Amino acid sequence: MTEEDTKVTFEENRNNRETTVALEDSIMVKGKAQTAASKILDGFIPPFSATVCDRLSRRGYKLIGAGFMDEFGILDLNIKDRPAPLGAIASVKNGSCDFALCNDLFGSYRREAAKESLFYIHPTYGTVSKYGLIPLASSMDQIGIVSGNLKKGFDLLSHIGGFDEKDGAMFPEESYNYKNNSGNITLGLSNSLIEMAHGDSKGAILDFAGKFNVINVDLKYFDLYNRVMYILTSAEISNNFSRYDGIRYGYRAKDYRDLDGLYTKTRSEGFGPQVKLAIIMGAAVLSKDYYSPFFEKAMKLRRLIKNNLDELFSGGMDLLILPTKISEDAYENLSLYSLPQLLGLPSVSFSYKGFGIQLVGRPKGEDSLLSAWEVAMA
Amino acid sequence: MAIKGSKEGGLVMFPIKKYERMVKLSLKGDEEEAIEHLANRLLKSFEDIRSVDTSKTEALVRVLDVENHLREDEAHKTVDRENLLSMAPMDQDGYFQVPKTVD
Repeated sequence: MTEEDTKVTFEENRNNRETTVALEDSIMVKGKAQTAASKILDGFIPPFSATVCDRLSRRGYKLIGAGFMDEFGILDLNIKDRPAPLGAIASVKNGSCDFALCNDLFGSYRREAAKESLFYIHPTYGTVSKYGLIPLASSMDQIGIVSGNLKKGFDLLSHIGGFDEKDGAMFPEESYNYKNNSGNITLGLSNSLIEMAHGDSKGAILDFAGKFNVINVDLKYFDLYNRVMYILTSAEISNNFSRYDGIRYGYRAKDYRDLDGLYTKTRSEGFGPQVKLAIIMGAAVLSKDYYSPFFEKAMKLRRLIKNNLDELFSGGMDLLILPTKISEDAYENLSLYSLPQLLGLPSVSFSYKGFGIQLVGRPKGEDSLLSAWEVAMA
Repeated sequence: MAIKGSKEGGLVMFPIKKYERMVKLSLKGDEEEAIEHLANRLLKSFEDIRSVDTSKTEALVRVLDVENHLREDEAHKTVDRENLLSMAPMDQDGYFQVPKTVD
């Protein structure tokens, strides 16, 4: 790794909006104070910029902060409806910027983008560099895009995607160019799941699907997606967050007696409750008591889920259509947003006739996602 | 296999204190109660995955066929030491400073 002068222009109070991109506070910008909305990172100033920032700056994009986010982007299991949208969503919605970049591990941005009549693009895992992204679950983290226009969002994606030697888990392609592939698209639709769609969204989903070939699919383990997701993400989060110890950067508590007291007091005072919950649950599922019945089981279920989706894609499904809400409960809704994370799949969410819809594609199947939208709008 | 924990009212209660110590956290009062409640809810929901037969299934570790790439074994400067130390809450003589660990 070499130091680079990224020449990032970071404007917190931007006055003009020309090709402006807002960054969630988990995407590092060299020299700019950053906390990921957590006290534990109080005073942290990144020594380097994320690769995505570097690539955008070289192309002349202006970068600004995106405002409010959940602490580290970790899902608040108590939340039902937010009093105000997440900062990245609000920034694009109110015209402060053209796009926003975020790490949508738990689906909050996908749901809110659709709710606010915006688009969220979640790329295939391994196509956009995670270097400089504050990690949550490293096998699932992926920088995505909030956009007011889907085609322009994919154009931006082509500017940030591509191999980065600083990220150890990337496909080798140097760049991606997303386009409408104009082919016939077959949507997979789970009748049982659509029945669970919240409110009147079922009608909108069926109307959208009616523009395509449709096959009925069975998502065999749908009811367990959220369990698998939380077990695996909390395990990775718990491991990743062991770095926050008050020693090298960030917040350090006062009045500790010894090293153990420093760690405990710093972490107890530095983290919020949902982060603490994820850390504790992650340690639990990796412990001797719960490893086999939960963590190992979840890893095997992840394979069964993958096998199920592979069968569906091999059987003619190009895209899976899903609602964006099936419950008032955040944990229940998590199942809707788990497939892209668990299997590294690309997805988009959007509003159609006033209701949220998600489309999930096969790996590197972003062209079909774009094509489906353009066909539906034609 | 039984799940470990203390029984209370027929439910297996999550041993939260044990895991707090493990991850260097100390929860108190309302916050501990709230987190313990959520932890128990999650644990109860995790039980549902045990009903799936995975006896002939291999764990999925890597979802996509992405190979880890290695760089050449060449030493070069990565980040500026002074810059990194400047972020430390306490440092001395080029080192991060921590409480005494050995009497």
